[in-house]
Amino acid sequence: MNNYLLKVKDLKMHFPVKGGVLYKQINTVKAVDGISFNVKSGETIGLVGESGCGKTTVGRAILKLYNPTEGEVYFEDKNIVHLRPKELRIARRNMQIIFQDPFESLNSRHTIGYIIEEPFIIHKIGTSDERKQKSLNILKRVGLPENALNRYPHEFSGGQRQRIGIARAIALNPKLIICDEPVSALDVSIQSQILNLLLELQRELNLTYIFISHDLTVVKHISDRIAVMYLGKIVEFAEADTIYKNPMHPYTQALISAIPRPDPLYKGKRIVLQGDVPSPVNPPHGCSFHTRCPYAKDICKNKTPVLQMYNKDNDNDHLVSCHFAGEIG
Amino acid sequence: MFNFNPLTIKQIRRFKTIKRGYISFIIFCMFILISIIAELLVSNRALVVKYNDTYYFPAYGDIIPGKVFGLDYEYETNYRDLAKIFSSAPESSNFVVLPPVPYNAFENDLKDDAFPPFAPSATDKHYLGTDKTGRDILARLIYGFRIAIFFSLILLFSNYLIGISIGCLMGFIGGKFDLLFQRIIEIWTNIPYLYAIIIISSIIIPSFFSLLIIMVIFNWINMTWYMRTATYKEKERDYVLAARALGAGNTRIIFKHIIPNTISIIVTFIPFSISGGITALTALDYLGFGLPAPSPSWGQLLSEASEFTTSAWWIGVSIISALILVLTMVTFIGEAIREAFDPKMHTTYE
Repeated sequence: MNNYLLKVKDLKMHFPVKGGVLYKQINTVKAVDGISFNVKSGETIGLVGESGCGKTTVGRAILKLYNPTEGEVYFEDKNIVHLRPKELRIARRNMQIIFQDPFESLNSRHTIGYIIEEPFIIHKIGTSDERKQKSLNILKRVGLPENALNRYPHEFSGGQRQRIGIARAIALNPKLIICDEPVSALDVSIQSQILNLLLELQRELNLTYIFISHDLTVVKHISDRIAVMYLGKIVEFAEADTIYKNPMHPYTQALISAIPRPDPLYKGKRIVLQGDVPSPVNPPHGCSFHTRCPYAKDICKNKTPVLQMYNKDNDNDHLVSCHFAGEIG
Repeated sequence: MFNFNPLTIKQIRRFKTIKRGYISFIIFCMFILISIIAELLVSNRALVVKYNDTYYFPAYGDIIPGKVFGLDYEYETNYRDLAKIFSSAPESSNFVVLPPVPYNAFENDLKDDAFPPFAPSATDKHYLGTDKTGRDILARLIYGFRIAIFFSLILLFSNYLIGISIGCLMGFIGGKFDLLFQRIIEIWTNIPYLYAIIIISSIIIPSFFSLLIIMVIFNWINMTWYMRTATYKEKERDYVLAARALGAGNTRIIFKHIIPNTISIIVTFIPFSISGGITALTALDYLGFGLPAPSPSWGQLLSEASEFTTSAWWIGVSIISALILVLTMVTFIGEAIREAFDPKMHTTYE
C-alpha cells in the first residue's frame, strides 16, 4: 500500500451557514461528507458528478485551500492536514491546481511572464535571469509564443489562457496536479488540444492527475480510474472501462446512459432521473440517492450504504455504495 | 520599472477622451502648481533686485533687511517702496522686479484717507480688492487654496492609508475581527464629527496638523466599507486561490494580488475625497473653528463675504466663484475618472 502518492481518508468538508443577529452557526453545508480514496503515482483519477456534488471542494480540500473539517490527506505518506504554514508552503511545491475558468484564475494585472515566474519568486528559486529563462521554456512547452511574456491575460483567448494556467501549474515540477474542470469552459475543438497537452505533459513529467469534470466523455478519455460522486460522497469507484461497461450504482448507470452516442442506430435505454439533487444542507437519510433512485426500497431510506468492494468475476477494484449492487441494471 | 498595465493605459486614454474631466484635471493641476510657486506670483518680496551691481533673489530664503539696499531700517525691506525709490532715480542701473501681485496674504495695505475693504483696482494692483483689514484678496485666495489643497491631500492620504489597511484586513481576515470592527465603525460613525471638532477646537486652538489629526480620527471610516467589500470579493476569486496554491503568503496575496485589483475603487473616490476635504476645512474656518486667525483661509473669506454682502461685493464674488470653480472642477474630474474606470467599459468576452 505504500506506492500511493496520495491517500485521502474520510475527508469531510462542512461549511457553516451563519445567520441571525448574533451571526451564529445555524446550519451546515455538507459539501464533502466522508470521502476516501488512494491515488497511485502517475495515474489519472477522474472525479465526476453533477454540479454541486462537491467535486471541486474535494480538489481544494486536498490542496488545503480549504481547511478540511475532518479526515486525513496523506501526500507521500505525510499528513498535510495539520502542517504548519511553512511546511505547507514546501509541500505545495509538489501539488498544484488548474482552474476551470481561465478568465478568473489569472490576475489581470500581471503579465504572463510574471504569472509564470511567480511560483519561482515565491519559492525563491534561481536568480532573476534564470527565472525568466525557465518561464520562457515553460511557455514554449505549453505551446505559447515567446512574445506572450510581456502581454496581459486579456489579450489571450480562453484556450491560450488555460495554457497559461497549465504553465503556472507545472512551473515547480509538481507531482500531483488537480485539474478542476480544466476544459469545461472551452470550445470542444480547443478542449481536445488542452487534453492532449495535459496527456503529453503527464507522460513527460510523470504527473499524477486528479481530473475533476462533469463531462463523462472527457473523463473517459483521460482517466485510468473514475470516482463518481453524489452529494458529497463517492458512490462508485472503479477502473474507467469498468465504470463505462459495467456500472453498478443506479446513479452511474443513469449518467452513463445519458452520454450522447454518435451512432444513429444505437438503441440503448436512457434512464432519466426525476427531481433535483437534494440540498447538501439537509441530505436525505439513508442512501443519499434514494430520493431519485428508480430502484429505491425501504432499506435505502433507513440504512446508509457503505462504499465497499463489489466482487464479481475479476473486477478487482470495483467499489460501489449501494445495497443492491449487482442486482439492478 | 513602473510599467503601466494595459488596462490602466486604456483607462487613462479613456479619461483623456472625456474632455470636461480632462480639461478640469489640467486646470486643477495648474492651480496646484500656481499655489506651490505662489511666492513668485503673489508676494510682497521682489523676484529680483539689482543693487550696486549685485543681484538679490529675495523671494525665497531669509529676509533681507532694508540696510542692504541703503535704506535706514533693519527690518525686512519693503520692496514696493524700494521699487519706487529706484524708479525715481532712473540714471542708476538699480532695479526691482516685483511679482505680478506685490502683496502677501498677511499684510494690511491701508490708506490714510479711507477704510478698507477697498474695491478692486488695477493701479493698486489689488486685482480682486482687499478684505476688511486691507489684505489682498487674490493673495489670500491663492495661499488659502494652498493650505486647503494640501490639507485635503494629506487628509486623503492618511484616511486612505488607515481606511484601506483596516478595510482590507476586515475583508481578508473576516470572522470575528471583521465583526468587531464593523461594530466599532458603526459606533464611531454615529459620533457627530462636526460637533466633536467644534468642542475640541473650543478647548485647544487647532493648528494645521492637530486639525488634520482630528479629521483623520473621524474620517478614516468611509474607505473601510468599500475596501472590505472589495477584498471579500477579490479574495474568493480563483487567481487568489491559485496564488495560495503556489504557496504565496498573506502579505504577497494582499499587496500583489488584492490591492492592485481594487485600485480602481480607490482611484474613483480620490477626487470626491479632495473636494470633501476642501469643503470641510472651509466650513470649519467659516464657523471659526478651523485654523487660527491670521492664516489665509477660504472659510474666513466666506464669512467676511457674508458680512459685507452689498458694500464690498468683490469679496463675495471672488470667494464664491473660486469655490464654485474648484469644486465643480474636482467633481468633473471625479466623474470622468469614475466613467473611465467603469468596469463595464472594459469587460471583454471572447
